[in-house]
Amino acid sequence: MRMTDYPPALILLVGVIILPMLKGRTRWAVAFALPVLALADAWAAIEVGANSFVPFMGMTLNPVHVHAATPAFATVFGIMVLGGLLYALNQKRESELPAACLYAGGAMGVLFSGDLISMFIFWEVMTLGSTVLIWLGRRKDSYGAGMRYFGMHAAGGVLLLIGIIIVIAQRIQAGDPAPLEFRHFDSMVQGWSTLSWSSAGMWLILLGMLVNAGAPPFSSWIPDSYPQGSSTGTVFLSAFTTKTAVFTLLTAFAGVEVVIYFGLYMAIYGVIYGILENDIRRLLSYSLVNQVGFMLVGIGIGTHLAIDGATGHAFAHIIYKALLFMGAGSVLFATGRTKMNQLGGLYKSMPVTMWCMIIGGLAISGFPLTSGFTSKSMVVQAIVDESARMAELGQSHTYLIVTWFLFEAATAGVFIDACVKLTWFVFFQKDSGLRPPEVPWNMRAAMIGFAAICIFLGIFPGPLYAILPFKAEAAEYAKVIYSVDHVMIMVGMLFFAGLSFFVLLPLMKRTETITLDLDWIWRRFIPKFWRDVVTPVLDQLNAAQKAVLEWFPGNGNESDLPTVVRRRLPGSWAVSVPVFMITAMLLIYLVVYFWLLPTQAA
Amino acid sequence: MTPEQKKAARIAWVIGLLVLGAIVLVDLGVHHHAHFEKDNITFDTLPEFWPLYGFTAAFVLLIAAKTLAVALKRKDTFYADD
Repeated sequence: MRMTDYPPALILLVGVIILPMLKGRTRWAVAFALPVLALADAWAAIEVGANSFVPFMGMTLNPVHVHAATPAFATVFGIMVLGGLLYALNQKRESELPAACLYAGGAMGVLFSGDLISMFIFWEVMTLGSTVLIWLGRRKDSYGAGMRYFGMHAAGGVLLLIGIIIVIAQRIQAGDPAPLEFRHFDSMVQGWSTLSWSSAGMWLILLGMLVNAGAPPFSSWIPDSYPQGSSTGTVFLSAFTTKTAVFTLLTAFAGVEVVIYFGLYMAIYGVIYGILENDIRRLLSYSLVNQVGFMLVGIGIGTHLAIDGATGHAFAHIIYKALLFMGAGSVLFATGRTKMNQLGGLYKSMPVTMWCMIIGGLAISGFPLTSGFTSKSMVVQAIVDESARMAELGQSHTYLIVTWFLFEAATAGVFIDACVKLTWFVFFQKDSGLRPPEVPWNMRAAMIGFAAICIFLGIFPGPLYAILPFKAEAAEYAKVIYSVDHVMIMVGMLFFAGLSFFVLLPLMKRTETITLDLDWIWRRFIPKFWRDVVTPVLDQLNAAQKAVLEWFPGNGNESDLPTVVRRRLPGSWAVSVPVFMITAMLLIYLVVYFWLLPTQAA
Repeated sequence: MTPEQKKAARIAWVIGLLVLGAIVLVDLGVHHHAHFEKDNITFDTLPEFWPLYGFTAAFVLLIAAKTLAVALKRKDTFYADD
């Protein structure tokens, strides 16, 4: 077998085993070598269009396959691991590196998965790695947040798996020659609005992926879990889970209209919750949701330029979002604080961190000369083009016009959030009296490097455009991106959005508060409902059952009951739940079996 | 605020307003094209539309957030006692 027959992810996964055995400089040398090798291998595979198949439990898996968006995502994942490692060089937590390798390895694996089973396996590897990274944050709520994160992603994974099984079964039934293949679900583009058995599997896959993307009602797992990582761990966390979800949505569901609405909700939600947030890393998590929302809008539009835009934006986003989390991590590292009401006046003692965060903030807002401008503009233009096309065909497209104006408003919003507000409250505002030294050289180097990429891609988007799925469209767009009209739209809009913030500054006073989200339902309402309503009712039923049994003549005493009955009394609960679950599973099996098999035979 | 900080704040406001003024002036001379011409939506070509849109959008979002906060704001230890 050639090297390109193995998934590049394996190189990163090797790190999980060997890094814990190494010490000192060797450890770091190996840690840096792994992403470089993985990136080289990924590009070797991309260049030859590698496609390898492996027999596994009677199926033929396709763990190496190059999708349209694989080159851009694989490249930025590699750069991200390198930058994250450099940033973590002075980190003492020994287990964080292997966990990061597991996480990045899973993410890299998804990019090259040509079949749904491999994709699912790598998807779950990623969940494991990221959960460990959250736990290793060792902050007050890291354990709980990690458990909630794992629960959420395990549930999303189950949806994904059931969806995959249904889709594969349906494809086998339809005589599909490649039933396992991970490819675009064409039929969802027109058929998303009709729920039927034939689209059920695809819907479940879509929902499973949307959970990982942070779509509603599950957006809150991002601000809940990412800020619980360590100052270095959160940098890795910000990069892979949501962007892998973007990659899979892009590959499987491009052009599915409903994705636009999820994206639009996220874009606005991220801004509004970010405005109210006091913790810098939670604020950045909200703006992450906002940015993934922009990518989802691009995916939902689904034209060539929109797909380029979503891919390019994911690339740019990983860099500037990691940069912003590095800045926040540096503030945490230097001061031990992340709450804005306890920070302020750091501009003098941490100038490098400040300037890097400002560059990251400008990039996230799509300011001209930054990577956000050259990537997000493609999605914006794609909405306009698609609307014009539909207008010509006489199709209803008002939703696109509304989407476009809301999209621009959310851009103004994220500027006041992640750029103006963050800079103002952390580095200026009042003097908090903190005079921490600037962070160590490696953390500064990582931040400066990523800030340089943000600006480089803003001025020379060519190298990024050259690895996008539809190079020709992107190159065509590159010619008009820096028109005076376009630049002035962004400059005017963003600067005046900033003015709005300072006009309303008295309202923006920071308080030690959070804003309730839909996760209140399962973190507070359901547990309380269970404790205060369901449990008392069950206790009553138990008492009633006991009373009935006692009523039987001769059975007044519990010890007089037959052994079988007596055994059941205290433990009746423990048995009934599994029995119910087994019955439910058998029922589902029966339904699926009867539904699928007869038609297959016919 | 100390007197120096007050002075710095005043300078920052002056510089900021000068930049905003410059943007307003430049925008007068820029021809903005309509994004949805086929739908006869042309208000986005009006001079100073984009600065106004940015200001208004941010203003509305900030006020919307503060309104939402009235109902949904809790101490950040809200879930800690679970």
